[in-house]
Amino acid sequence: MELAILMAGIVYGLIIGLIPAAGATTGLITLFGVMPYFVGDPYLGVIFCVAVVASSTTGDSFAGVLLGIPGANSAAATMVDGFPMAKNGEATRALSAAITSSTCNGLFWGSLTFLFLPWYTKVVMYMGIPELWALVLLAFVTVGFVSTRRYVRSVLAIVLGVTVGLIGVDVNNVPRFTMGWRYLEDGVQILPYMAGLFAIPELWDGWFNRKKTTTIKAEHGSWQDLKQGVKDTIRCWKDSARGGAIGSFIGLLPGLGGAMADWLAYGATVAANPKEKFGVGNVKGVVGAEGANNAQKASSFIPTVLFGIPGASFAAILMGLFLYLGIDLGSPDTFYDDKLFDSMTYAFLLGTIITAVLCYGLAYFAGWMTRIPYVYYFPCILAVIVWATLQYTGGWEDLAVLLVFSVFGVLCKKFQVSRPALLIGFILSDRIYNLTYQLTSLHTVNDLITRPIFIFLMACVILLMYWGITKRSRLDYA
Amino acid sequence: MLKKTIMALVLMTTTALADYNLIVPQKPSGGTSVWAQIVVAEWEKHLGEKINLIYKPGARDQLGPNEFQNQLRFDDKTILVSHGGNGISYLVEPVEYNYFDWESVGHMNLNIIVGARNKADTKNGPIQFPSGSGMTPEIMAIVMLLTGPNGDPVKTFENKIVWVKGMKGSERRLAFIRGDLNATRENPAAYKKHVMPVIGKGDAYTWFHHGLLNVKTGEHDKDPNFTEPTFEALYESTYGVAPSGDFYDAYKLVKSWRDALQKAFWVNKGNPNKAKLVAALDKMINDPESVAAIEKKVGKYEWRTGAEGDAAVRTLKSFITPGALKTLSDFGKNQLGYNAIYKEELTK
Repeated sequence: MELAILMAGIVYGLIIGLIPAAGATTGLITLFGVMPYFVGDPYLGVIFCVAVVASSTTGDSFAGVLLGIPGANSAAATMVDGFPMAKNGEATRALSAAITSSTCNGLFWGSLTFLFLPWYTKVVMYMGIPELWALVLLAFVTVGFVSTRRYVRSVLAIVLGVTVGLIGVDVNNVPRFTMGWRYLEDGVQILPYMAGLFAIPELWDGWFNRKKTTTIKAEHGSWQDLKQGVKDTIRCWKDSARGGAIGSFIGLLPGLGGAMADWLAYGATVAANPKEKFGVGNVKGVVGAEGANNAQKASSFIPTVLFGIPGASFAAILMGLFLYLGIDLGSPDTFYDDKLFDSMTYAFLLGTIITAVLCYGLAYFAGWMTRIPYVYYFPCILAVIVWATLQYTGGWEDLAVLLVFSVFGVLCKKFQVSRPALLIGFILSDRIYNLTYQLTSLHTVNDLITRPIFIFLMACVILLMYWGITKRSRLDYA
Repeated sequence: MLKKTIMALVLMTTTALADYNLIVPQKPSGGTSVWAQIVVAEWEKHLGEKINLIYKPGARDQLGPNEFQNQLRFDDKTILVSHGGNGISYLVEPVEYNYFDWESVGHMNLNIIVGARNKADTKNGPIQFPSGSGMTPEIMAIVMLLTGPNGDPVKTFENKIVWVKGMKGSERRLAFIRGDLNATRENPAAYKKHVMPVIGKGDAYTWFHHGLLNVKTGEHDKDPNFTEPTFEALYESTYGVAPSGDFYDAYKLVKSWRDALQKAFWVNKGNPNKAKLVAALDKMINDPESVAAIEKKVGKYEWRTGAEGDAAVRTLKSFITPGALKTLSDFGKNQLGYNAIYKEELTK
């Protein structure tokens, strides 16, 4: 029974992962309706949910690589080099490298997470408000200065992304940038924003170029391409391991999320390979970013399980689902629930392995998928985006927001304004704003200079800015 | 597996043919949404009919109640679930909904507990406390405890309180555990989970709690789950007199509107299905199996149903006096920084 439930979770998670702009969080939200059927045996529910997380995380590379649309916000970094590889006829190789890097790090960090769970409390306790603030700044600098050569434009894009992200209400519940429209008081929803920035511009381009040439060079999937992707990961093991370590560390820290992990990993890969060009189909960019993907998800379980404090947005939904099953993560009861830990370990590790096998199979056929005429998949993707956008309120307002950001996305692509920078600014806007408030309320400069981790992170921020300005990155993606 | 798949398909089909619609003013992942999902699963068993959850997030959880007020409540098969934040917004914000056009099906009364770390100076401050409109009753109580009967609460707030803005629930919990904050507050379930371990280590203690509103007397009764004093008892033991005045009335007003209506089911006034819904809810809260299932997941809270719920709303109405409401809106706007307004019409 456990295996059947695991497989069901994997298949469902894979489907979610393949949908553009969806991801683990979206997949989990839709599970509330089926949770009553697991109440009799809640551990089956645990297996199902964790399998969804494991498989959707690996599966979300497909949309980014094949369509240039992130499968989830955390997969946007993979897309930067993965999509150009697909355009060059290397879709299967790119996917194989992504799956291998993601799976290896998922298994490694997943094992460490679940085996040494209690030990991690100390790490989380060292990361106070100043350290988290510096870490968010580091993510901005990575995207703004390291991962692009147009750093002025990129910094402006971050500011713009933060501004859009701050639409809603401020810390005093006073409407901010809503222009009197009450719908916006809960902020711009991530799905229409991300779909508008990434999906619609690619669909737009594809539609107008459909008769000229295929966007992606058709290729036949081959074992050679699959093997090449695995070999690439082995060859670039340092990039993969570095990405995994970064992802794992970010996952430990509540609220920072997958997008930040992947971009920091991607930025670190670019910085570590100064003589190579990125953004044009460098497999190291795929391996580095994907290294962080599953590792971040695995370590996000640590604050979630130990403190009941979600390590990422998917973890917050997972807590709600577990609560439905009578499992209160973070409570002392869970520390002594061996079956809970066994179920989570089983589902995450075995789920990751089975997902990898299935994904290799899918990657093999990726070449075939890219040969499907555009007119067939264009309406399908558009329909999925519209449907997913309407899941918020179901009103015309949802579509209006999608339309606005679609136009915005098309313009950004045309004028080469960094869309990744717009995304990371949007995602971390609340965090930087709130952390700045907290930092200035609770800490003084004298206090900050006594914190070694804070000093170290700020030194990294300054060095990366200097490096970005003087060395000029080799990445051209917008 | 096959059986579960068929059941899932049946669920999806029956959802479309639901007998009742429950309007939830949040996304499916919100706290009230999860609470509603858990309670409805038990409520349905005793009602014998389906309750379909309709999520209406937006405008800081005011969109759902507004739509219910203007349109949806006239459908006899539509119920609304509201939370304590809606109660606070009703008092000091220009919302469209009006509780007095509705009738209570049932609601949960709730207590909130305040914990302090040992290093906190609870006489002279500073008290580092997380901000948020939901924290208003606690910060008002703390201000009164630091002020005493003859001081100025506004000066106390400005001189002795560090009102830490921008902290979400998970952040404030971790900040208290780490010691970044020296005081915090939680509901009983979250308090047990996040604050009690710190107390267990000897680093913190329970400062006070609000107690439970007695709808007959309008006073706060002691919560049997906590041996520590209520705010009123602590104040009286510290200063020798009971708290009083407009500031205290404002505290009592906002505290009661938040906690007594922390989770509440409503239908339109005169809804013919109310008796049936109340009867099912009564059965649920008297069924040990349902109670155990709910308490295991959302904690142990006191329920008030039907006429008792309506009586509670009348008691809450009696707390809305011009002095209390003006003090609350002024303190909210000038000290706490909210977009609060004085709604004179509520006092009539």
